[in-house]
Amino acid sequence: MNIGSIVFAGLILLVGLIYEIMALNMPRGRLSYPGPGLFPMIIGIFLIATALGCLLQEILPRKRTGEGPSASPLLNQDSTAPGDRNVKKTFHLMALMVGYAFVLKPLGFLISIFAFLVVAIRIFGYRRWVSALAMTAVIVAISYVSFVLWLKVPLPMGILGEVFG
Amino acid sequence: MDLFSGLIHGFSVALTPMNLLFGFMGAVIGTIIGILPGLGPLGTMALLLSLTSGLDPTAGMILFAGIYFGAMYGGSTTSILLNIPGEAASVVTVIEGYQMARRGRAGAALAVAAIGSFVAGTISLIGLSFLAPTLAMAALKFGPPEYLAVALVGLVIMSRLTGGNLLKSLMMIALGLALGTVGMETVAGYMRYTFKQPLLAQGIDFLPVAMGLFGISEVLVTAEEPARNMQLQKVRFRELWPTMMEWKRSFGPIIRGSFIGFFVGLVPGPSPVIATMVSYSAESKLDKYGEFGKGAIEGVAGPEAANNAAVGGAYVPLMALGIPFTPAMAVVMAVLLINGINPGPLLMTEKPDLFWGVIASMYIGNFMLLVFNLPLVGVFASIIRTPLYLLMPIVLLLCLVGVYSVNNSMLDIWLMIGFGLLGYLMRRLKYDLAPLVLALVLGPMMERSFREAMMISRGDLSVFLSRPISGTILLVGAIVLVAPLLLAWIKPLIRRKV
Repeated sequence: MNIGSIVFAGLILLVGLIYEIMALNMPRGRLSYPGPGLFPMIIGIFLIATALGCLLQEILPRKRTGEGPSASPLLNQDSTAPGDRNVKKTFHLMALMVGYAFVLKPLGFLISIFAFLVVAIRIFGYRRWVSALAMTAVIVAISYVSFVLWLKVPLPMGILGEVFG
Repeated sequence: MDLFSGLIHGFSVALTPMNLLFGFMGAVIGTIIGILPGLGPLGTMALLLSLTSGLDPTAGMILFAGIYFGAMYGGSTTSILLNIPGEAASVVTVIEGYQMARRGRAGAALAVAAIGSFVAGTISLIGLSFLAPTLAMAALKFGPPEYLAVALVGLVIMSRLTGGNLLKSLMMIALGLALGTVGMETVAGYMRYTFKQPLLAQGIDFLPVAMGLFGISEVLVTAEEPARNMQLQKVRFRELWPTMMEWKRSFGPIIRGSFIGFFVGLVPGPSPVIATMVSYSAESKLDKYGEFGKGAIEGVAGPEAANNAAVGGAYVPLMALGIPFTPAMAVVMAVLLINGINPGPLLMTEKPDLFWGVIASMYIGNFMLLVFNLPLVGVFASIIRTPLYLLMPIVLLLCLVGVYSVNNSMLDIWLMIGFGLLGYLMRRLKYDLAPLVLALVLGPMMERSFREAMMISRGDLSVFLSRPISGTILLVGAIVLVAPLLLAWIKPLIRRKV
């Protein structure tokens, strides 16, 4: 029994239920002239049934060992044992991206991406501050020239808008 | 336009300096990401999707074809020299390739992989050139029931092939189809699941979904891996030439791998990966020298040919029917959709420049890859030393800027981050990403076909079974879905009786 898998399947089941309730409130039309709600209603039932199946499969004891959820060779390509993984890095990177999305508009692209890169370089294990700052400065300069000046991507400039916008 | 005039026209398009440049860029990028462990062709294409929005669609398609083929070439280099697969389709090559390298035959393994890839790529392109137009002509007779049947059966076959667990794959298909219904419905203009967000009216954009699910989640998974000790073997140019015996032993596997790869490529699922496995198991059964597991050249030649050939095969349903059967093809199709082109059987007649230009560019790209992969293998291999702390933040920067640049929308950044997390969780919980993405891409087309079929038949559901083509396709799907379950049920009964 894998708690992560149970929670995941449970969440999808919840999504399925909400999806189906919303679908039932849409006009379904007739089979000869289907309305916007008919197809979502069918999909909703399919989603609930499969999510329920996955949930039961995780909760109930498995009879056969051969066809377990991880039996596929195609899904088992990473050879790293779970214990060797550094899950903290994923949390840090996710938090960093969310942080970037929050500050992009108010602070502008240059400040946000500079902070993003310095922290990201450190998350990936590089420890020297000075060279991390220097590398970041070079990358930000190149991306400013290529994206803002050359490709004319209208990235938000925020508080530096007057200078670089 | 017949085949030969089509191809000649295609070469005139592909040989323009701009398209040649994009083919070359694709081949170089593809080789590099193929060599780098972690980032695969699918993730890279998803990440670069935003850049193709301002590009001529033919150039975008040529770029992506170069990346896909290039990754198949590059992947073998890492497998052979480092004992680490450069990307998923080179996992099998590690087994015999690294053993050959340990015996001092790394050069021969690399050369056979590259030449085998070229031969197989060319054979599968000939198959693509013949089969895609023929299938497209046949598909002109397809009506809504046939399209629904092809898409439905494609999803069923894929869920049978990719994941070990059928229920998990089916749940992902359902989730993908559900996501595909978000946005303004086309017939009556009804808003579905938009939560009064005007930005969601056009539906969930494929771009941030693909970039998140494949790109961001790949970076997250790579970030977690412990640092690897990279001891790169040096290969000199003169060591690249295989011996007469090695040539002789590689010929059969390359030809067999080419055909296995092409036909596996036609089947829905992660075809290059499956093709290498089928080829490896075929070659190990035919083993005459008892060398398998100790560095048999057949185990490099066959699978490396097969993964290239599978790429050509995978393009057939996309180019002929406009239906992608692999996640990579869904991303390739997005290049067309972003530029307002609806792929389908009419692509060949309505956009001959694109159709034939892309196919011709693959012949050129394949040749380019052979020419610069062999002599420059040492240079490319040294790319493996690029530190992750520099590469991964740059990749993330490209994602964050790229996804914003297409619609200038913050929603796209949030969607990408959200789907990045979903993709990461799915990878860790052993869910396959392919059914979700393909269902998302195929969902709107399936709904449209379903509604049209219902209107034409005045609500008669038997229309799907009574029409010969859709009936046959659905029957095949039912057999694929039910047969393994029946077999699993019958086998113990038979055993008990015996």
